[in-house]
Amino acid sequence: MDEKSLFKSAVLTLVIVVTVTLSFEIYFRNQGVTIDYDDGESLWANNRSMVYEPTNKSLVFIGSSRIKYDLDLPTWKTLTSVHAIQLAMEGSSPRPVLTDLANDPNFKGNVVIDVTEGLFFSMAPPFMETPNKNIKYFQDRTPAQRVSFELNKILESQLVILNKDHYSLNAQLDKLQVQSRPGVFMMPIFPMNFEKTTFERQEYMTNSFVANPKECQQVKDIWSFFAGMVQHAPPMPPKVFDEIFAAVKADIDKIKARGGHVVFVRTPSSGPYYQGESMGFPRDKFWDRLLKETNSPGIHFKDYQAMANFDCPEFSHLKLQDAALFTKSFFEELCKQKGFAYLKSNPSSN
Amino acid sequence: MVFNSYTFVVFFILILFLHNLPLSWKIKKINLLLASYIFYAAWNPPFILLLWLSTVIDFYVGRALYTQENPHKKKLLLVVSLIGNLGMLCFFKYGTFLLDNFVSLSHLIGFDFNPAKPNIILPAGISFYTFTTLCYTIDMYKKESKPVKSLLDFSLFVTFFPHLVAGPIVRPPQLVPQFESPRIASRKQMMDGLLLLTLGLFMKVVLADGMLATTADNVFSSQDVLPVLDAWIGVLAFSGQIFLDFAGYSTCAIGVALCLGFVLPQNFNYPYAAIGFSDFWRRWHITLSSWLRDYLYIPLGGSKNGKVKMYFALMMTMLLGGLWHGANWTFVVWGGLHGLYLWVEKFFKDKRGVQSDVSASANTITNFAYAMLTFMLVNITWVFFRADTFGKSWGMLQSMFGMAEGKPLLTTLAILKVTIIIPLLVLCHWFLRNTKILDVAYKMSWIWLSIFWSTMLLLLIWAQESGSSFIYFQF
Repeated sequence: MDEKSLFKSAVLTLVIVVTVTLSFEIYFRNQGVTIDYDDGESLWANNRSMVYEPTNKSLVFIGSSRIKYDLDLPTWKTLTSVHAIQLAMEGSSPRPVLTDLANDPNFKGNVVIDVTEGLFFSMAPPFMETPNKNIKYFQDRTPAQRVSFELNKILESQLVILNKDHYSLNAQLDKLQVQSRPGVFMMPIFPMNFEKTTFERQEYMTNSFVANPKECQQVKDIWSFFAGMVQHAPPMPPKVFDEIFAAVKADIDKIKARGGHVVFVRTPSSGPYYQGESMGFPRDKFWDRLLKETNSPGIHFKDYQAMANFDCPEFSHLKLQDAALFTKSFFEELCKQKGFAYLKSNPSSN
Repeated sequence: MVFNSYTFVVFFILILFLHNLPLSWKIKKINLLLASYIFYAAWNPPFILLLWLSTVIDFYVGRALYTQENPHKKKLLLVVSLIGNLGMLCFFKYGTFLLDNFVSLSHLIGFDFNPAKPNIILPAGISFYTFTTLCYTIDMYKKESKPVKSLLDFSLFVTFFPHLVAGPIVRPPQLVPQFESPRIASRKQMMDGLLLLTLGLFMKVVLADGMLATTADNVFSSQDVLPVLDAWIGVLAFSGQIFLDFAGYSTCAIGVALCLGFVLPQNFNYPYAAIGFSDFWRRWHITLSSWLRDYLYIPLGGSKNGKVKMYFALMMTMLLGGLWHGANWTFVVWGGLHGLYLWVEKFFKDKRGVQSDVSASANTITNFAYAMLTFMLVNITWVFFRADTFGKSWGMLQSMFGMAEGKPLLTTLAILKVTIIIPLLVLCHWFLRNTKILDVAYKMSWIWLSIFWSTMLLLLIWAQESGSSFIYFQF
């Protein structure tokens, strides 16, 4: 082949790549697929960098997946102009992030801590892995990575094919669910419509997911799978729980010493999931003790009529419409807590 | 800045645009130099000071070394350069390692010495640019090439962004003359460069990061004893990952330089088709191997001063080559194992009176069997390269050779990925072992080439892997 032919190949390559990519993009859009952001370390680090905003203009949320689903940010914005910075991570304990914020002398803000007992009161390394990875990424973030994040944001906001969790090569291969040998852990796969992420890191399930009993059951089965794993794990000795309470108290004391305020929140769960959580983590031994030992206020969904009776489609997270209702009620209660009145004194400009 | 990032795509387009503007050659070189500093500073801006320091010292010391006639002063200048370059490398790369070993030794002889743990950050690519500048001053000392005339050309030689952080390690005569006269890429060079850049990114992003890295990480981070299958799959995955990651970087670097009109030396030549270990080191990280040969092995005695000295020089070179890769004794053992393989190979060749490493009929079944034996033995060395402790290495070797019963770890999909990719990789190396990738591209029909090229690009888009760092940046 001569020099001219390589040029011809390059031109044809460009045509093929652009045509195939655009075809998929158009196909997915016609299927009703919407923009979804990769909730990876760079997006988390971007939010983490916002915690230095003025204390009276911002509020940091940490926790597990529930607060990401249940705190509806568009609703929040209609209630206050205070910036809700979402730092929660699904399937993980918020304790590493709490420690990170506590040890950051430049952080002087307020924190809402979402408590999912099975994750919060666990020492299992997998529940710490993502928080630790994200914190390290934030600390080591290079100028080049920041620029790449900004460029990626432009692309992700325009292309629905950019969906690492569901459309990437590995995600597609994982969906084949090739049978493995007995005893090998295989990560269950969530339906795509269950885990959509906005740029501000709100997670939501689509209406089509809520209307699809098969997909709801699929997620319920995943919770059963994880519950089964937890049941087979050796019980944690009481001393470990004591250490967790002490560590959380120490972190909260550091935040308070810099003028910050902390509120715990127990977001809704329902059905057998809630029953299992209540049995595994009795309220008096965990939630009540947590508030007492840390000397912090808490908002438990069961204590408030407006929040007590939500029905979670898959037992653990609220659908969008309920998240909006929850957010309003939660906001009202949060404003009553010591140090959080500023939420109301900064009314929304919407 | 890494090649597999959006930042680099924008950066590269801007550089190509500037480089093709009708500006004077000096302005274009200044553009390239500034771009190279930006490329480097995009990791950690303060470390650019080290790069400047190294550049300025070696430029002036190199010139003085070349003109200095007094042998004592000349030696002193060389020592200044060696202390400057190696001192910096020792501090940043080996400081913590040396202190840890000193503390261990103190404890061993009964001293309770517990200093504070130093928090030293390793500047990206320090091992690479130190070797680049070091070979210049040594060449000046030996008067093997002429000093670079301008600080601009020398700075660009040291800092030129395609090779700066992970090689290929360039020698002054390979690159400096290319800065002396104006050059922009011809259409052929541009197309060749873009093809190589695509291939390099495909190797890194799709294969190394997308298909193999997780399996290698899972196996090497496992705290449990593993079954034979899982251990071997993990080692093979790392074997593929390290090649595809590093050769992918070198291919990108060569492609990027070519798009600007510059030619960088080849760094890999199908190493997993090597017939024997001497052949392996002529095919793996070629620019480092030749650097070690010229600046370490030969000064230590080489092959011209008797067998004992040759064996000593060979082992020392491999041990220090191992240490160059990382501040850990496991890297030294990795180098030592390669040294041992080379010893055994040399011993049998001497005994049989064989001169050449590879027999003329390189495609025979015997040669293929020897190549596979080489590949399998190289895999064993990768255990020490990847595991961070000897305990981990030993555990892995026990698992690989069935000396312990373990619980299965890897999914069938992970096993399938490795068992498909690695044999294909080895077969590609075998069948292409005497060719160059661009020659293969030129032999294909233009339609087949574009199908191959577009498949790589589409897989790159489909992989959706984030811009993870290259393994060799840490060295």
